[in-house]
Amino acid sequence: MKILAIYSNKGGVGKTAAAVNLSYLASQTGIKTLLCDLDPQGSATYYFRIKPKLKSGAKGLVKGGKKAYKNIKGTDYEKLDLLPADISLRNLDVTFNKLKRSKKRLKKILTPFKDEYDLIVLDCPVTISILAENIFNAVDHILVPMIPTTLSVRTHRQLLSFCKRKGYDTEKIHTFFSMVDMHKKMHKELVVSASTTFNNVLENVIPYLAQIENMGIHREPVAVSSPASAATKAYQGLWDRVQKIISTEKLKEEML
Amino acid sequence: MLNNIKFNLPTGYYEQQLISGLADQYIIKKERYHSEVISFYDTFDWRLFNKSLVLYESSRKLCLRELNKSEVIHSIEINSPPIFIWEFPYSELKNQLAPIIDVRALLRLFEVQSRSTHYHILNQDEKTVLRLSYEEIRSSRDRNSLPLATYLWLLPVKGYPKYYRGIAKRLQEAGLRISKEDTIYFKGLEAVNKKAGSYSTKVDIQLDPDMRADPATRSILKYLLRIIRINETEVEKDIDTEFVHDFRVAIRRTRSALGQIKYVFPSNITNRFKKNFSFLFNLSNELRDLDVYLLHEDRYKMRLPPSFRDDIHPLFDYLRKKRSKALQRLVRVIKSKKYTKILNDWEAFLNKPQTASPTATNAELHIIDLARNRTYKKYRDVVKTGSLIKGDIDDRMLHVLRIHCKKLRYLMEFFYSLFPPEKIESLIKQLRKLQDNLGIFNDLRIQEQYLLDITKELPAVEGQLNKTSMAIGGLVNTLSKEKRMVKDAFAEIFRDFSSTENKELFQELFTSQTPEVHNENIGHLQQ
Repeated sequence: MKILAIYSNKGGVGKTAAAVNLSYLASQTGIKTLLCDLDPQGSATYYFRIKPKLKSGAKGLVKGGKKAYKNIKGTDYEKLDLLPADISLRNLDVTFNKLKRSKKRLKKILTPFKDEYDLIVLDCPVTISILAENIFNAVDHILVPMIPTTLSVRTHRQLLSFCKRKGYDTEKIHTFFSMVDMHKKMHKELVVSASTTFNNVLENVIPYLAQIENMGIHREPVAVSSPASAATKAYQGLWDRVQKIISTEKLKEEML
Repeated sequence: MLNNIKFNLPTGYYEQQLISGLADQYIIKKERYHSEVISFYDTFDWRLFNKSLVLYESSRKLCLRELNKSEVIHSIEINSPPIFIWEFPYSELKNQLAPIIDVRALLRLFEVQSRSTHYHILNQDEKTVLRLSYEEIRSSRDRNSLPLATYLWLLPVKGYPKYYRGIAKRLQEAGLRISKEDTIYFKGLEAVNKKAGSYSTKVDIQLDPDMRADPATRSILKYLLRIIRINETEVEKDIDTEFVHDFRVAIRRTRSALGQIKYVFPSNITNRFKKNFSFLFNLSNELRDLDVYLLHEDRYKMRLPPSFRDDIHPLFDYLRKKRSKALQRLVRVIKSKKYTKILNDWEAFLNKPQTASPTATNAELHIIDLARNRTYKKYRDVVKTGSLIKGDIDDRMLHVLRIHCKKLRYLMEFFYSLFPPEKIESLIKQLRKLQDNLGIFNDLRIQEQYLLDITKELPAVEGQLNKTSMAIGGLVNTLSKEKRMVKDAFAEIFRDFSSTENKELFQELFTSQTPEVHNENIGHLQQ
């Protein structure tokens, strides 16, 4: 089982769209997938037409075990389940903070799901606090969407230095460009320069496309609402690349 | 977790009628229908069915489930269905099946056509909260043919139990019954005139303790004849090695029954058929030996250092050629007049009413008494022979002991139904341990000798023969070491078998109050 976080310390970069589409594409290849919507705004939950409600709120989730499991909902797609968001998740930081081993709580919550799922995808809220550290401790890989703008690049630098300072393995972090508009000069230049500045920048680019914005209307992954679209192709390419990263890791484990 | 529910739909229950019945209360979205062929597999001797397992393939997926259940235990993606376990890709499915099917081939039992239409039950947000699947299963592609079964599946969506329970309740109230039996499996078999579990080499004969010894023995022998008959026709097809094996074992058991269940038939009959069955048994010796080598080819290779492994190939190529000829020879014999006459005469004898004979002195005994006497005597032979084997063990004595054990095992299996199952089973288990040790030793001994002999026969290939001979030498050396280890383990295994506890159990089961009528006086007639 692998855990993949779609994470960014900057908002509005296409995290949820990536989380929803990658989870869907993973499940279509036969991988039993759980998408956890950790963002109190609940956009991923909304996309799947599921009510943003956890039975005992964030507190119940933090208790883990059966209480957490009971909240899982099946999506419209076989092999893809969702752990819905809840408004109370906005206090997740505070809740974790009150507990012992407060930075490894999320890992503990997810452990019981390992038997049932091959892949867990976390749709993370914007954070660089204790919740972020919980995420870094829980996951095998972190996928960071980055808009090719100076501010995004700056934020990404902040993230990397935060990880280094706290001793988290930056090798886990992979970056891809999101909401890219190649008509813009700045986007074009930054895609090139950031690819050399940072390690682990994926070649796959998610363009700025109406089909992705329309997900809010269709409430479906783009591969369902517009299967032949450029958006679908872009996410498919990204998923193929991510799957390789995950399975290379698996291969390394088997060799050990 | 909620499970899938499968409702049986009675004949004449139409899809439209069913769905429109639900549409008044639920939002329903229909999907395209989906057709697939489902093929079911098992070994010739029903090894999976005997473990309540069902193996089937559909849409390039091989799945294992329990009989009467729909949940898949393991599944793998395949391009074409594997026949032997070594053709399976590494998987949990392989791990589970390997000890069960062992060296037997998987045969396709039957196939059915499944046509299903999926429906989604939606909530107010148009989110799927339950899936339904209407499935018709037929034994042919003809859509007008009567389905073997029609099902309505309720496939729950996690987190939405209300819809699942609500619709399940409604369907039950409408008179639909949840299907708990493996209708498809059994009806599919019936459609091709097959019956699950119809073949087994296990002697499964219910004997009445008070029945006369001669009809009881006949029913054992008739059972064995049936096994011989079934396998003789399959040997030529050469699907797997076990048809020849079962064929041989049934012949050997017949031969052993004639020798061990003494004086129930006239001596001329017993003597003739003892000879006949010995002759038939020996016909397949070479083929079986070669089968064993070839089945263990990989294990042989693993016994050699990696640098020698390729050098042994010429040996196995040669053995494969020899095997093919040995099989042809056996097939020719099975088709010969001599073979046909032996088996036909034997069958005629078994079906003929018994006539009194001065040499069939045990014929009128109760079978239970004869069974006790014969089994206990054989047990004594085993203990006596085993006790003589001490210190530096003589290979020949181990061979004699092995034969005694085999005869004892056969007797216990023939008469199994006459004794309390747990008790006789526990003794068979003990005996099996001893037989395993002796069997492995014997195999190693024969293999060692065979390899030494075959080096002379191998066709010379320039430069290769020397290497092959060296590899064979390496093998002989390893086999010899293994033989030593198996031999060293013998003493302890035999001590366990001949323990007081076992002895008391043998006495409890097999010490008869009524001795055999016969013995010394008429024994000479049988010589």
